[in-house]
Amino acid sequence: MTPLLEVSDLNISFPRDGAPLVPVDDVSFMVSPGELVALVGESGCGKTLTGLALPRLLPRGAVLGPRSAVRFDGTDLTRLSERELRSYRGRRIAMVFQDPMTSLNPVMRIGTQIAEAIHAHRKVSSRDARERVLALLAEVGIADPPARINAYPHQLSGGMRQRVLIAMALAGQPDLLIADEPTTALDVTVQAQILELLDRLRAARGMAVLLISHDLGIVAGRADRVLVMYAGRIVESAATAQLFAHPAHPYTRGLFASIPRLDATTTRLTPIRGTVPRPDQWPDGCRFHPRCPVAVSRCLTQRPPLELVAPDQRAACWVAQGAAT
Amino acid sequence: MTRLARVGLAILTLLAAFAIVGPWIAGDPNAQPDPVNGSLLLPSPAHWLGTDQLSRDIFARLASGARISLAVAAIAVSVAAVFGSALGLAAGAAPGLAGRLLQRLIDLGLALPRIIVLLVVLAALGRMHYVLLGVVLGATGWPAVARLVRGETLRLRHAQYVAAARALGAPPARVLWYEIFPGTLPAVLVASTLGLADAILLEAGLSFIGVGIRPPEASWGGMLYEARDYIGSAPWLVFIPCLALVAATSAATLLGDALRRSLQPETR
Amino acid sequence: MSRWLLRRTGDAVATALVASVVLIILLHLLPGDPLAAVLGDHPVPPAVEAALRRQWGTDRSVVQSIGAVFAGLAHGDLGVSIVEQRPVLAILGERLGPTFLLGALTLLIDFTAGLALGVWSALHPDAIRARLIGAITIVGYALPSFVVGMLLVWMFAVKLRWFPAAGLSNVLLRPDASVMTTLLDHLKHLVLPLAAMVIATLAVPLRQQRAAALVTAAQPWVLAARARGISPALVAWRHCWRPALTPIVTLLGLWLPMLVAGAVFVEVVFQWPGIGLLLARATQDRDIPLVMGAGLLLIVTVQLGSLLADVMYHVVDPAQRQA
Repeated sequence: MTPLLEVSDLNISFPRDGAPLVPVDDVSFMVSPGELVALVGESGCGKTLTGLALPRLLPRGAVLGPRSAVRFDGTDLTRLSERELRSYRGRRIAMVFQDPMTSLNPVMRIGTQIAEAIHAHRKVSSRDARERVLALLAEVGIADPPARINAYPHQLSGGMRQRVLIAMALAGQPDLLIADEPTTALDVTVQAQILELLDRLRAARGMAVLLISHDLGIVAGRADRVLVMYAGRIVESAATAQLFAHPAHPYTRGLFASIPRLDATTTRLTPIRGTVPRPDQWPDGCRFHPRCPVAVSRCLTQRPPLELVAPDQRAACWVAQGAAT
Repeated sequence: MTRLARVGLAILTLLAAFAIVGPWIAGDPNAQPDPVNGSLLLPSPAHWLGTDQLSRDIFARLASGARISLAVAAIAVSVAAVFGSALGLAAGAAPGLAGRLLQRLIDLGLALPRIIVLLVVLAALGRMHYVLLGVVLGATGWPAVARLVRGETLRLRHAQYVAAARALGAPPARVLWYEIFPGTLPAVLVASTLGLADAILLEAGLSFIGVGIRPPEASWGGMLYEARDYIGSAPWLVFIPCLALVAATSAATLLGDALRRSLQPETR
Repeated sequence: MSRWLLRRTGDAVATALVASVVLIILLHLLPGDPLAAVLGDHPVPPAVEAALRRQWGTDRSVVQSIGAVFAGLAHGDLGVSIVEQRPVLAILGERLGPTFLLGALTLLIDFTAGLALGVWSALHPDAIRARLIGAITIVGYALPSFVVGMLLVWMFAVKLRWFPAAGLSNVLLRPDASVMTTLLDHLKHLVLPLAAMVIATLAVPLRQQRAAALVTAAQPWVLAARARGISPALVAWRHCWRPALTPIVTLLGLWLPMLVAGAVFVEVVFQWPGIGLLLARATQDRDIPLVMGAGLLLIVTVQLGSLLADVMYHVVDPAQRQA
């Protein structure tokens, strides 16, 4: 199957006095049509920037590396003009952000905001747009859409707002939905509902989803594949079942060891020692080596490439690759 | 300190020096050597900036005006600073009803357009000495200072070092004077520097509409008042005091702005 | 909403009342006898002087004065101008129109230009724009309104002769001139005073609106709107300008005192026959009833303006409206 999205050597840097900051360092991955891919990592690992870079919504001052390419349906988005990109944003690639409280314009009725998203990409009468808005609200599971269409964001609960934001993202009938921590700001019970909704929409619409999260747990039952990011790089990429059964990278294993499990035989959680270094203090070689329990001398100087260590599983780790060959 | 702030400080210092020394070297601002042939003259070695409609030397009037205008502004700012900080401190520190009443008083002062109060007072007092004008300007300039000082006082009352002093058993008056009052001084300084520009501007404005410093006494605004009718025939009569005024107000604004930024970096 | 409105209106009325009382007390506490100033060196019989004092109210105590002023206000009577010997209210009525025209237009331009420039510079925070806005602000703060006015007169009335230097209309215009001609004449007279007012007062609105727009532009909903492919113009208008409007409306009331000061000086420069010019003249003449009347009118206007601004805030902000 040809990939829908093919990111290669994505490199995002912030020029400054001295060496530039490179919070995303040569990241490559693919997403196939209809696939749910999870991008997992701790805060500050560059996963949010990676998501923003796809429709090129980078913050001011960020510079894309010259070799970076974001091929979407055959077109390299990094080469497009801002105007050309607009026909991709919302129309082909939609986004849902972390905080539903602030991602909605507080002075616009939600119906108007969704309709705006529809009008942005299609010539439709306002009558038809209203019908579409009602249908979208129903599709994302909002009860009594005609009553809610005129509500202002502050009148809705956090979960409802996130549903509205998802409805807006669906308005352009995108092929790829990037959901950046869509449930982090929500109550636990609501979290499950929103994830359920995303999964259902993906199945119903055949839409690919890139789910960005810090939480391996919410990824478990839903993702087809998982990308694990650490310090600006992808350290492991595997089919979900494979990753959960046999995590290859020491960092991934560390993540699993620090998750509480109901079936645990051990009673203590094992935290990863040390802390995530700041982007200006990332070490040479494998960036995980100062915290790695199995690091060898080679890890200190040479960057490990992301190589196949098992069927459907790649890891950027000298030790794991050594064990595989 | 930023470059702009340094420029502002330098201009203010120069103007102050000019106000002090200028009148000595420039001579009598009211001398009318030759009203028939010597009026509206262009600059010359005898009259560095030319003469006005009454043949008075413009440089001398500018120097004398600098002294009066800056003195009025300085007096105004000092009066406003003293009165405003006292009120602001009291409003911030006084408990219960007294504090609320003082707060209402400050609100009232802020709600009253300063120019109206000034005009009413000037209408009642008529022609006045420039020192008194400075006091009147100061007496209407306190609300801005009081508001800032009150805010700082409220903030400092909850600061750790004040709580520490209180825990050591320092009496409230002592805490207010030794711990809180010095902490509000930066705010007073900022308010005063920005207030200086306001005071210069207001004095000039009042003199310009003929109710502040009145002719024949020289002030920058008063020079404009007298020069208005000559804007077609001798525009430099208008430009010269304008230039002095703008130099003074922009210098004070630049300095005040820089000071404010260094005090509250978040309000950039 | 209605209870809030009631309380807010009560606040405004109370402030206006207290302010009036303060002015009356101030007039009484201050030395200086306007009657003596007007009479000057002309000796008058004591009986006449007493009659004049009674007529002008300079023989009253503070309490009597306050009572008299409020009793007069209740009847729509603000006393008689000393210089013009006409009811103050009638004089104010003639002057209200020009001042209102100038003030309202200034406010409108300040508001729209300030918000547009503010959003524009906030959406593209590059160095050049920031510096441009900074320069406008400094110029606005440092250039007194009357200096701006004089320079405009010199440039556009004396040198270029594009616009008239003073007045509300051309007194030489034939009375039978067409409506268009008259209107055009008025417009020409309006241009320079309005320009002076705007230049002198734009700085504060601009700075505040830029600050508000900067806060708004950094909100996640702006990024979210861009991610939906909304056009830049709509992002600026609906997602930056509109939300920034809400905090700005509350500031409108604070600009009014500034506008009053600007109006006094600018009206003098351009001999614009409004309340400001009247107030300046009356102060020069020490026409106390007229100064009081004009002062009270402006204070009430400012209070009314800030009340209106607060009401508008409640209308503009959905969260406030439904609260």
